[in-house]
Amino acid sequence: MINRQRVWAVMRKDWRELARNKQAVAPLVIIPLMLAVLLPAAIIILGNNAVLASSINGLQGFLDHLPDRVVPATYSTAQTVVYAVIVYFMAPFFLIIPVMVASITGSSSFVGEKERRTIEGLLYTPITDRELVLAKVLVSVIPSVLLSWVSFVVYTVLVNALGAPLMGGLFFPTWTWAILIVALVPLLAFLATCLIVAMSGRSTTVQDAQGSAVLIILPVVALVVGQATGLLLFDVSIALLASAALLVIDVAVFAATAGRFQRERIITRL
Amino acid sequence: MTALQRPTQATAVVVPAFDPGGGSEPTVVAAGLTKLFGSREVVSDLSLHVSTGRAFGLLGPNGAGKTTTVRLLTGLLTPTRGEVTLFGETLTRSNADALRARIGVQTDTSLYESLSVRDNLRFWGELHGLATPTIERRTGEVLDVLGLSDRVDSLVGELSKGMRQKLSVGRAVLHEPDLLFLDEPTAGLDPEASADLIDYLHEMIRTLHTTVIICTHQLQGLEALCDDIGILKNGSLIVVGEVRQLLHRRWPEQRYLLTVDGDLAVAEQTVASVVGGPVEIADGNLRFCVTQEESISLVVAALVRNELQIRAVIPQQPTIQDLYFDTINNGTTP
Repeated sequence: MINRQRVWAVMRKDWRELARNKQAVAPLVIIPLMLAVLLPAAIIILGNNAVLASSINGLQGFLDHLPDRVVPATYSTAQTVVYAVIVYFMAPFFLIIPVMVASITGSSSFVGEKERRTIEGLLYTPITDRELVLAKVLVSVIPSVLLSWVSFVVYTVLVNALGAPLMGGLFFPTWTWAILIVALVPLLAFLATCLIVAMSGRSTTVQDAQGSAVLIILPVVALVVGQATGLLLFDVSIALLASAALLVIDVAVFAATAGRFQRERIITRL
Repeated sequence: MTALQRPTQATAVVVPAFDPGGGSEPTVVAAGLTKLFGSREVVSDLSLHVSTGRAFGLLGPNGAGKTTTVRLLTGLLTPTRGEVTLFGETLTRSNADALRARIGVQTDTSLYESLSVRDNLRFWGELHGLATPTIERRTGEVLDVLGLSDRVDSLVGELSKGMRQKLSVGRAVLHEPDLLFLDEPTAGLDPEASADLIDYLHEMIRTLHTTVIICTHQLQGLEALCDDIGILKNGSLIVVGEVRQLLHRRWPEQRYLLTVDGDLAVAEQTVASVVGGPVEIADGNLRFCVTQEESISLVVAALVRNELQIRAVIPQQPTIQDLYFDTINNGTTP
């Protein structure tokens, strides 16, 4: 039986601490700003500029391998480049946001407690292992998802506002993005946080935990590379398939994490 | 709060075997507790019995196993052998969390420095299931007792070491636990604050029947707080029992310092004739021992008969500190 008061108390306390930690908050602002504002704005403003295509690593390859069916046939070359980049090329980049945010908040809230030597006091309270794991997971997942969604709204407004003159009206979001934002982002944030909490038993410093968290980002980077080289196009079917797979993985990883979490293991590795 | 009678009597002294109760209500019972980390035995066959409303001092040098013992008694660690009973229930992984709701622990672990004093206490109150009005009332009471009322909105990171120490004790007692573990509670406190804290703990014990287990190296004046002590060495409890009984067992004779006006040699002979043992003259005073407290009135009467004016008769009581060093350094057990 989960005691909501205790879970909520830990979450509220962690968010208060996070809000006062400038080192943790700075990347939470900078990363979404780069991916949701600066990069798409540059792409739309510069259009099909050859210099742009060559300056973004992998973009030219992505454009070369783009199947005909994914872009409306009526689009000009400039419109095709903008549409392909905004709708397809940027999709896996957007998955980096929840993973990065979860890595930062998860490392800070959980391993941070170990590093600051506050975890032992917490373990002496009546909070159960399950409540503590759930609270620590939610502490990271909720801001990860909210920040991704806010970024998505900003991205949507921005690309439509800047792209409408070139594209002849609103052209974003698509069904792929709907699945990506509604399903993939929360599932991926949940998975990343669970893995960080699971790894936190071994990590003793925030830097150590963030180093381990990089491993979680690697599959997402592989997705970006796959997208860029045209090996894997992030369309509706891929997004649905990935969501279903992630759901199964999430359930398994959370069960394993909560099951393996033991006070004794934490306390003896302080 | 209404003053209440202490509900239980002294714990029986058993060195070092397990005492099954001695007729008093036990809050903590440890039986044959052993903890191994790999092949290293950190706690070895530890048995103790702490009755409700008693203050128990768990003493020992660094690395003796005090912290591990507290972790075992609170269910943070699972014993390799033996068992712990808290409030009459055998401590298991499944009931440890619920039992911890009745426990307060103050350790040397940190408070949340980026949060205010109020937020730290509120968080602890919420974890212990207190309602918001109760948290506010208890926050006021605890901070008032600890002299921190004017720092309620200060960040913990801005407090002095002594203030943080007080706050960590305040956090542990916020929910008025039935069992309180304190780790060096007076470390870093000035004498006045230290005395206030001990008075407060006495009040908790007297009115709420709180059972207190104190781990400390500060042995001076510990008699004022502890009813019982246990001395740990290399993971083993080599001495355990009621303070007065342990001291009496180790030093059965009572020592006195006598100051008189007049001929010291006559005084020495007079005292020796009554106590029947050696009398030492040092710094113009007489030192001697008696086996029965009543003998001291006979000594006084004899001195008066010999027209020697008595300036002072001061009992020289052995202390927990004496017992500790005697046990640790000489390996002597009472």
